[in-house]
Amino acid sequence: MKNKLFEKYFVFSPYFWLVLFFFIPLAIIFKISISVSEWGMPPYQDIFLFDNGFKINTTFENYVYIFSDYYYIGSFVNSLILALISTFFCLLIGFPLAFYIATSNIRLRNILLVLVVIPFWSSFLLRVYAWKIILQNNGILNVILLNLGITSEPLQLLYNQYAVIMGIVYTYLPLMILPLYGYLNKFDLNLIEASKDLGLNRIKTFFKVILPLSVPGIVAGSLLVFIPVVGEFIIPEMLGGSDRLYYGKILWEEFFVNRNWPGASALAFSGIIILVLPIVIFQILYSRWSQKNEI
Amino acid sequence: MDNNFLVIENISKSFGDNKVLENINLNISKSEFFGLLGSSGSGKTTLLRILGGFEKPDTGRVILDGTDITNLEPFERPLNYMFQSYALFPHLNVFNNLAFGIKENFTQKEIEINVRNIAELLSIEHLLNRRIKQLSGGEQQRVALGRCLIKKPKLLLLDEPLAALDKKLRSKTQLELTTLQKKLKITFVFVTHDQEEAMSLSDRMAIMKNGLILECSSPEEIYENPKSLYTANFIGIANIIEIYKKDENFYSDDLGINFKLNKELKNTKTNILLRPEKIKIQSMNNLKTSSFNSFSGEILEKSYLGSFTRYEIKIKNMIISVLDQNFNSNSNYNFPKGEKVICIWESESIKVLED
Repeated sequence: MKNKLFEKYFVFSPYFWLVLFFFIPLAIIFKISISVSEWGMPPYQDIFLFDNGFKINTTFENYVYIFSDYYYIGSFVNSLILALISTFFCLLIGFPLAFYIATSNIRLRNILLVLVVIPFWSSFLLRVYAWKIILQNNGILNVILLNLGITSEPLQLLYNQYAVIMGIVYTYLPLMILPLYGYLNKFDLNLIEASKDLGLNRIKTFFKVILPLSVPGIVAGSLLVFIPVVGEFIIPEMLGGSDRLYYGKILWEEFFVNRNWPGASALAFSGIIILVLPIVIFQILYSRWSQKNEI
Repeated sequence: MDNNFLVIENISKSFGDNKVLENINLNISKSEFFGLLGSSGSGKTTLLRILGGFEKPDTGRVILDGTDITNLEPFERPLNYMFQSYALFPHLNVFNNLAFGIKENFTQKEIEINVRNIAELLSIEHLLNRRIKQLSGGEQQRVALGRCLIKKPKLLLLDEPLAALDKKLRSKTQLELTTLQKKLKITFVFVTHDQEEAMSLSDRMAIMKNGLILECSSPEEIYENPKSLYTANFIGIANIIEIYKKDENFYSDDLGINFKLNKELKNTKTNILLRPEKIKIQSMNNLKTSSFNSFSGEILEKSYLGSFTRYEIKIKNMIISVLDQNFNSNSNYNFPKGEKVICIWESESIKVLED
């Protein structure tokens, strides 16, 4: 009986974790997002008032406010586009790398895997800051370009959306490579040879055999990159310019600069719902599809 | 018959320091069912993969039907390869697996017709909508075969075609495979480590060891007249006896008897092969012992195999295997353990091994 009890709790432990670190914080954010803002600490009123009898003190003003101003919606759209582009480039670079690692011999494979993981051993902030040093006007890259005579004056490499995309692709690449590797590792290489034997060249073999059979790995890696990039704050802040506003930055400003906690919470809550709902629906449809196709 | 349909010329291949194939030469005829037999590490699969185009040989050429295909990519070769694991595409159903290789060059209607025909040939029409995981091993083997045959290849390469099947299915499939091959007249080259499989399928077979071809001949010839000690031991059960010249005859120290050979020998010392079914076993009181081509010994072990009984007979320092056909339905026909018996054979049954 004791064992059964243990099993029961063990099985449910991910759900405890999910409730503790996702649903409870989400509920708190939702609570703040529907409360009325005021000057003070905390900068919002309670939603349940008991002074003159019980009264519920909620408002949807904050939601109306953020959805009626393109400033907020626009920044969210910018972030979605940024996440899409970054995920695409991570996939473009990560897939061949993961495939190469998965198909190389065991010694080389282990070395390459360590190389993929090594950046995690240093601080994320430091690594992004290092890019700042490389890309700035008198940075290493510009000095090399100037000395080689490729350009006559320093290029503006920093503080634009391209620097942001580059920084994100650099940072999130391991999150694409590792799940892809985990999947491609099990790939039966005979299938590639069989496809070639049946008359398909390398490119056709890639699209008819390798790609369709890698869909689960691609989906896992892409979600792992896409979701956090939408809310990414530090990289656009450090490498980006004022040409484009992103969701994470607006959220930060609303919260810490404007001290509009209810507004910021409404923004955060809307963002999560807009992001999570389609992904959950997609996951359900996808798992049905892959069960049917037995991939 | 065109003896030069597939010509393998001076093929060598090394992986690092490991010499896998050394100067392989083979000529295979059109419509021949050719077996490459060897234990693991003999280089047989590497040779097959070179024919398929998956490995490039270090030296040598492969010529198929008059065309040098040595440097062609797998997808440019007019041949197909059936993998040991079958390598069926798990994301496609049986129909699309069969159609995989012809989708490019045919219209939808032609594809339908071709797939139906091949499915009918292999009796898998009822499986066309199934997914690969829903198939049994035998069904998968047929789909893998059909996927190759639908391309009407000049040459079909088969890597251990029956190894993944259970024993009962294997003998049934063996027969089907030979019938199919004779019907389609496609040249088959297959690799196996199973000597029975090689014997029953092949028109001719090559015995491989350490990257070399030791012998290449028909199964009958290889079984009856093996040239080397390795082949004699590898194919079937073999009694190998060392003999040397003593006066006019040959003598075996291990058996303590004289042998009379029909032909002259170059060496004064050699190994001879005596297949167990060539030895007749008789009870002591039935026969007078002659000093040549016979011995008397004691039955050490016996195992009843249905159509045969296998005896292990001890004589002096050696144990000789004898297969005795069970002519008589009387169960007392068998000799009991410990019985003293006389074994005799024809002098033609003694085969002299070269090395």
